[in-house]
Amino acid sequence: MTTPTAKRWEIVDLIANRTVTAGEYKPSIKDYLSELTVKPLTGIPVALAVLYAFWSIFSSFAGALVTDGFMVKLFDNYWLPWIQNVWPNPDSVLYFLFVGDPLADNCFEAFGMLTSGLFVSIGVVLPAIFIFYLMMTILEDSGYLPRLAVLMDGLFHKIGLHGYAIVPAILGLGCNVPAVTATRNLETKKQRFIMMVLLAVFIPCGAQLGIMLDVIPETVGWVMLYLIIGFCLFGFILGKLIPGGNPEILIDIPPYRRPALQNICKKLWVKTKGFFINAIPFVLLGILFVNVLYLLGVIQALADLFAPLFVTWFGVPKETVGPLIAAFLRKDLAVAQLSTIAMTPYQMITAVVLISIYFPCVATFVVMLKEGVKELAAAVGVLAVIVFLYGGLIHLIGILLGVA
Amino acid sequence: MENKNNIFEIYTGIIGLAAMITGILNIIVWSGIYQTIDLGLFTIGGDDFFRWVWGSLVVIFGGIMLISGAKDIHKIEQFSKSFLGAVMIWIVAGTDIFATICENIPAGEESAEFFNSLSGFVSAFAPPYAPAVILLPFTLAFAVYYFRLENN
Repeated sequence: MTTPTAKRWEIVDLIANRTVTAGEYKPSIKDYLSELTVKPLTGIPVALAVLYAFWSIFSSFAGALVTDGFMVKLFDNYWLPWIQNVWPNPDSVLYFLFVGDPLADNCFEAFGMLTSGLFVSIGVVLPAIFIFYLMMTILEDSGYLPRLAVLMDGLFHKIGLHGYAIVPAILGLGCNVPAVTATRNLETKKQRFIMMVLLAVFIPCGAQLGIMLDVIPETVGWVMLYLIIGFCLFGFILGKLIPGGNPEILIDIPPYRRPALQNICKKLWVKTKGFFINAIPFVLLGILFVNVLYLLGVIQALADLFAPLFVTWFGVPKETVGPLIAAFLRKDLAVAQLSTIAMTPYQMITAVVLISIYFPCVATFVVMLKEGVKELAAAVGVLAVIVFLYGGLIHLIGILLGVA
Repeated sequence: MENKNNIFEIYTGIIGLAAMITGILNIIVWSGIYQTIDLGLFTIGGDDFFRWVWGSLVVIFGGIMLISGAKDIHKIEQFSKSFLGAVMIWIVAGTDIFATICENIPAGEESAEFFNSLSGFVSAFAPPYAPAVILLPFTLAFAVYYFRLENN
């Protein structure tokens, strides 16, 4: 037997009358600060400052300190010469697969599983993931993240999502694997699908961002601009086309708190451990797999097949087709490969945007598969259409501007 | 008490105005009208697009929030606006200092050593400084006032 709704409300009122005492509440400074960080007029500049801090600390720690400061030297001056010396027979297939180019003087360009693969996973992605999750945990535990979600709700509702989509969107800048998993926090199937597609297409991961900043720093701003425009544009279109609900945001905003060190350490450990288990093996195996495809001539055959499309439709040189095809497994290294090809600045921007919006990396692909075969197939179909349309649109903009 | 408040109002307004002007100068320099503005103790300019332009916008907004809270700053709702403006300047200054620390712990690409020498590390903190770093000590008064309010 169930109690009717009206009766239930009566019980609630009865309990509330007996237990809740209403009194005068004097708001504290924290209450005012909390309000100011949610109101658009003051909240948006604060969000701009917080995201600036996020970006700046991320690039200073992961880029300047760990990767450029120590890892490049460690891998290029010690690890690479050692493994090139001890691995027998530089002409063998195994040498090509595991060590890569015998004449390479840095791990970045060697393209072996134990050279580029280890350098990218341990030297580039791991410090990026570490600092990224540290910042995310601090934002989450301090109580700022729910406020950011409320603040972004208006914009995200225009693209068929709600404010909490900011969590997978920011997570995706670190690694798309946990970001796709975080889409489960969204309420409806429509929201989850749109976010998954937008993540896979328009959010570059930490590894790719790190390498873009390292190899083509002057282009990153334009690439990001194109990606943000694409995110909003295709989000809006998908929001209109895909059937389903988009309910209003309803979240509990906790008070601001000082994050506890023990909690931060625990969360950081769990998330970083997850990266070791889920992502590093995929990066290493991905490089091995692409090297096998290179050896079998598959990459070259695909490059020849797709060359007319890339040259005519996207307006990039034929040489970029190889890296673009290989980007499925190693987007970060594909950016590095692109940087060695002679291109105009606009072609470089187009090629890097194409790498970003191209099919997600294999690790993200596997996680998307876990969300369902139907969802993955639909996402791949939408991805292909977006890449074709947006790549062509960027080329058209270049033609109209007279720079393509 | 009233006089004290007036002094704090004027002080907040001046800091806010200084932040706004330096932020706007940063944007003007970035747009190419001037190459660099170097006044010995502080410098406006740089080659890092994100740090420069994005950071300048944050300093400008920080200045605006400081100014908007300056009038009747003894009222908690007004002070909280100015305090947030000061926090925005701390964010830019703090990340600038953090970047200098991160860039100068390693010895540099050309060196065979891994770590920078102590004198090399310390010399990286010599002037000129970015405007937000110069403004940082002047905004610490807002932290003192905040903790006093929180304790009350």
